[in-house]
Amino acid sequence: MNGWKSSAMGNVVVITGVGMVTSLGQSPEEIFKALLEGRTGIGPIEGFPTEGFTTKTAARIGDLDPKALGISRRDARIMDTHAYMLVKCAKDAFAHAGLDGESAPKDGIAFFAGMGCVDYRVEDLLPAIHASMSNDGSIDYGKFYEEGFREIYPLWPLGMLNNIAFCLATIALGVRGENTVFSPDADSGAQALSEAALSVAEGRAPQALAAGVSEKVSPLNIARASLSGILGKDTCRPFSSDRDGTILGEGCAVLALESGLSAKQRGATPLARITGHGEAFSIGDSVPDSKAIARAMQTALEGAGLRPSDIDVLIAHGDGTPAGDRSEAEAVNQVFAGADRLKVYSSKGALGHMLAASSVVDTALGIQMLRTGAVPPTLNADPIDGSINLNIVAGKAVKMDIRRVMVSCISHEGQCAALIVEAAG
Amino acid sequence: MPEEKRRVVITGHGMVTPLGMDSEETFSNASEGKSGIDYLKAFDTTGLPCRIGGEVDDGKLEEFERSLPKTKLKRYLSRGMRFMRVATHEAAGQARLGDIEDRSGIGVALGSHGDNTAVQDIMALHRFYDGEGHWDMQGLMRAGGYPYGDFFRRKSDVATAVLSMLYDLGGPNVSIVSACSAGPQAIGEACYMIRSGRCDVMVAGGCESTLNFVGFVGFVLITALAERYATPQSASRPFDRKRNGFVMSEGAGALILEELKHAKHRGAPILGELLGYGSSADAYRITDTHPKGLGAVLAMSAAMEDASLGPEDIDYISAHGTSTQQNDLTETRAIKEVFGERAKEVPVSSVKSMLGHPIAAAGAIEGILALMGINRSVMLPTINYENPDPRCNLDYVPNEARTQEHRRVLSNSFGFGGQNACLVVGKYEG
Repeated sequence: MNGWKSSAMGNVVVITGVGMVTSLGQSPEEIFKALLEGRTGIGPIEGFPTEGFTTKTAARIGDLDPKALGISRRDARIMDTHAYMLVKCAKDAFAHAGLDGESAPKDGIAFFAGMGCVDYRVEDLLPAIHASMSNDGSIDYGKFYEEGFREIYPLWPLGMLNNIAFCLATIALGVRGENTVFSPDADSGAQALSEAALSVAEGRAPQALAAGVSEKVSPLNIARASLSGILGKDTCRPFSSDRDGTILGEGCAVLALESGLSAKQRGATPLARITGHGEAFSIGDSVPDSKAIARAMQTALEGAGLRPSDIDVLIAHGDGTPAGDRSEAEAVNQVFAGADRLKVYSSKGALGHMLAASSVVDTALGIQMLRTGAVPPTLNADPIDGSINLNIVAGKAVKMDIRRVMVSCISHEGQCAALIVEAAG
Repeated sequence: MPEEKRRVVITGHGMVTPLGMDSEETFSNASEGKSGIDYLKAFDTTGLPCRIGGEVDDGKLEEFERSLPKTKLKRYLSRGMRFMRVATHEAAGQARLGDIEDRSGIGVALGSHGDNTAVQDIMALHRFYDGEGHWDMQGLMRAGGYPYGDFFRRKSDVATAVLSMLYDLGGPNVSIVSACSAGPQAIGEACYMIRSGRCDVMVAGGCESTLNFVGFVGFVLITALAERYATPQSASRPFDRKRNGFVMSEGAGALILEELKHAKHRGAPILGELLGYGSSADAYRITDTHPKGLGAVLAMSAAMEDASLGPEDIDYISAHGTSTQQNDLTETRAIKEVFGERAKEVPVSSVKSMLGHPIAAAGAIEGILALMGINRSVMLPTINYENPDPRCNLDYVPNEARTQEHRRVLSNSFGFGGQNACLVVGKYEG
């Protein structure tokens, strides 16, 4: 089975810190409140012109000030939105968990992240292009090779390496434990969470951070998603009969995980436990078939020792793509057949699709649900697709007793993953 | 009581390097101390301060590809992924991967970064950009738009998805992008997946091709490449006093990792055991390694602890040994810190002296070569070692391969930005 068994894991894994940034705010509480109120983070793209693109909307975060994050000007030159978000959320989660003090040796703290593709900024290369122009306005390759390239900022290439933002975050926190960077889609954030949980469960690290970071919304990333055929026209409508694709979002979440014993010794408050994970790959299809999605969910349940009826809320991937939502709904119906009280929610109608960040942000939202007993409305789900046969929470927030939340995610290349978080006590 | 630890063995391996189109050819050339470095042919390097690299022969690559089953997926393959396909073909054949019935128990973990944007693409795009945020989209579309395949070759999960499709693998599917540590981290994560029971078999490794203009110029700009060399073949000189930078190369390394009982049950060849994995972060400076090699010390120690071994159990170290002033000194210091008195007795060599540095592929290729060395009782040499550096005073297996029985190897990878990963590979001893 492609998941782990929490009963065989050794240490209980608890979450004691959360840092989160999305288009709806810069803290878990602020974001969750806005979601409960039914606000959307999706709006017209500003900052670069969108004429020519069929999709002119996205869920973007406001500017983050590198100075306020303690980032030097030198480092800021090779950083961009994705790196700022990661540093901010990592610091917030660290502080929230009380790991920024002396309560745990930083050399042993593990750090796993899921991150998106890094695209070059046209502005960084333009001076080199201008220096290589011939009189007739065309590009002189010889000039470019001999002189032009020297116009590029010498550390520019570092900014192009996918792991540099991650390394800057390890520097900001001073953590030196085991680590890796997965990339680039929703499953990579789930993978980071799973590895962090296992690292703690198996006792390799007493504490571990798990991060998911979206790409910066840019002309290149819109073009890439657009050419993949996944973007909708103006907004994201999860499970709606009017759905026509997803909308890209910016965001990041970092969770601080540790063993129950470590939390107790440090006096940190467990916010939730993480108890299950499953993953699968659907062979031969560009959209995961329902069987692979179901297999990931089933494996997560088995690993956590739970029945389908034990899950109160499913935070679905629900990215608003016609085929993706259909496959996922089929999978949920297979796995949760008869579990009538299962509520299904998708955050993407409000926050857009944050790729590698989406699964970690959804897990952070799941923690808020466990703590508040509230499920926000899935924005733009009306009119709900009659054929999907799910209890979609839509229209307004629902208050209920929530003990266990499952998070599902799907990549556009075929990877599927599911995670389970449970109430702390 | 904890369950018995699931052991991870290696049942197949394959590689493509500047020294060969498979493991055997590469190992054989390396054991003769041959260099795979030459002047670059892929693009015109006139005017650049470094003009050399370790290229995989195009003709041989194409010839090999013609012998592989035809696939519609070819347009999505980056150059690095083309290497990986060849390497995986070799590894899968050796492990008889096709015989395994439950395909959902086989996964993929790959260190790869996807293709760099081609300079032609950049130039083409810039014609439609005014420098102040405005794109002439209509013009771009009239000119044919931006090629679909180019975006996909940059996405690292396309590579793992393609591998899954080519070999019908339904297990965990992860792509790792941690620069020079990506390959060993993929192998390490694959090892964890098997140990924790998430799957029984993993295709793991790394692939890279950055010998294109954008990738290469990037490293010229950070002044990390060797710029002073008498001949291309003598430019990569790890631990030598006159070392002055690394030599970029390309390639792929693929391993078939398998749970021991699973391998035994189906009678797969057991070539060796993956005994331990450890990773760490320097958390020091983005452009420099920790001066005392703290991250390196942590990763080496973690890998040995994971293998339940101590310094006295390690017979040979396959060094990261990039041939930069900084790495080779720091690595030497870190080895001394971890191995103490024993540091001078343990042979340490860097095959980057012959193969150059293929970034995400490096640790995977080096791990396989270490395993082959164990099985043949050969320690590969550090070539171009001519001028001893008083600060680097370990036994670097200078210039000639050494015939010596050994059982356990520590293989080091220390990446840009400060991500480190070490593997302990051992002889399979039942």
